[in-house]
Amino acid sequence: MKPTLKPTLLFNLLIAGAFIVPMASQAQDTSPAALIETFSLEAGRAGDATAGQAFFLATHSGGKPDTPSCTTCHTMDPTKNGQARTGKVIEPMASSVNPARFTDSGKITKWFRRNCNSVLGRECTPGEKADVLAWLSSL
Amino acid sequence: MAQPPQPKPARPTSAAALSPEPKIRVWDLFLRFSHWLLALSVTIALLSGFFGGLPKLWLHLIVGITALVVVVLRLTWGFTGPGSARFADFWPSPRAIMAHLAGRDGRHLGHNPLGALMVFALLGSVLALAISGALSLGGLYKIGPFAADGFALGSVAREAHEIFGFLILALIAAHLGGVLFESLRGKENLARAMVTGQKVGRPGDHAPMERQARMAMSLALGLILLVGGTLALVKLAKRPVDGLPVVTSSLVADECGACHMAYPASLLPKQAWQHLMAGLDDHFGEDASLAPETTVAISQWLAANAAESADTLPAHVFSNPDPMALGQITATPGWKALHHDIVAETFKRAPIFSQGNCQACHKDAEGGRFSPLALSIPSPKK
Repeated sequence: MKPTLKPTLLFNLLIAGAFIVPMASQAQDTSPAALIETFSLEAGRAGDATAGQAFFLATHSGGKPDTPSCTTCHTMDPTKNGQARTGKVIEPMASSVNPARFTDSGKITKWFRRNCNSVLGRECTPGEKADVLAWLSSL
Repeated sequence: MAQPPQPKPARPTSAAALSPEPKIRVWDLFLRFSHWLLALSVTIALLSGFFGGLPKLWLHLIVGITALVVVVLRLTWGFTGPGSARFADFWPSPRAIMAHLAGRDGRHLGHNPLGALMVFALLGSVLALAISGALSLGGLYKIGPFAADGFALGSVAREAHEIFGFLILALIAAHLGGVLFESLRGKENLARAMVTGQKVGRPGDHAPMERQARMAMSLALGLILLVGGTLALVKLAKRPVDGLPVVTSSLVADECGACHMAYPASLLPKQAWQHLMAGLDDHFGEDASLAPETTVAISQWLAANAAESADTLPAHVFSNPDPMALGQITATPGWKALHHDIVAETFKRAPIFSQGNCQACHKDAEGGRFSPLALSIPSPKK
């Protein structure tokens, strides 16, 4: 762990305990930076955007056959609209073009749980979450 | 029956007086206009009804209502029009029919007794079609004056409507055959007479009864029937309708609507919803799990507003689920029957993408009505 991260991580530990958990389902209760730091704290390492990109674009195994990759629905370009298998449009994942992304801790929990299970057949690790968020908020 | 010894022109002109074959004005302008408008509207109604399917229902309704209005006005004209238009002139009494069949009567300038039977049969059929059609529209789709009268009645009316459709098809065939037969037998073009209104007078003709059209009476009667009828139908249409789908709760709209159309609870029976909600971790090939308290809340709402609580067509036809695919609306025999003529490629193309994307074609799908009038299949994007 880099020493320079320590004060921020400590601060976010307080945020996580006092703010995020009690208001888990409320929108606008968090930010990409806060989430990355939370997951980084859990993982014990900083989020890596390059690793996140590779993870997001990769074809995985172990999940459900119709959804082998994040890109199945979100497409290769997170700054563009995606499309669910049902035909429904999914708003861009990149927070630069869709500022509403990663501001609702309830949605983060729900969608990581669902989509990691669909694509990987397991929960994502805090490190994977930090990486993906680092990439999606850096675009 | 008055039988003038010589054919008498209705409007003697010098030309007619000089002509060796005097032209007689038999069919008045309204009668001819109503005949051809009825022929056109019934033809389009039959074509759109038998071949157009639900996407052409709007056209079917327009021409069907047109046919009904024509028949109502023709009925008033039967009491107020000139001689050959009056029902009294061609009332097909059994004696007149027997005489005609035996060939004992002469040539009729107006309707002969068999032709008269056809007139009443066709007018009656259009009325029967209009009534059964309106009852179907109300019962099945909750549209129009009989929207409050229930799905069961609408289903019966829908069957009757189709039977009347075949009946009028047979009558039209018989009518055309009769016109052809009589034209050949009498060596005259009866179809042209219905265009020009004129026939060539011959010795021994049965002339129509001598009556002038009562225009003021006719207009007043027609107006009273049309306006009064419309007001009565509007009043019927304003009755409260039971069994309409409820508005989807905001929780369901948010959670279910995140990935797909928030299907109205009325599309599936309770049993199917329970099955779906118990298996959200593998929901049509994806994990759609929810927080336990959210799952409970949504399950309860869906059960309370399931197909059992609605009287719409989807609520009835989708409530017989395929046990192998419980909870899949597109696997129900009813859904398949309604969509059997749509090829698989249509469902895959933009902006439809999947069979589950109801509102791509049914604009009112989220409200659960699925009116055929809100139905249009988007054309392929070029």
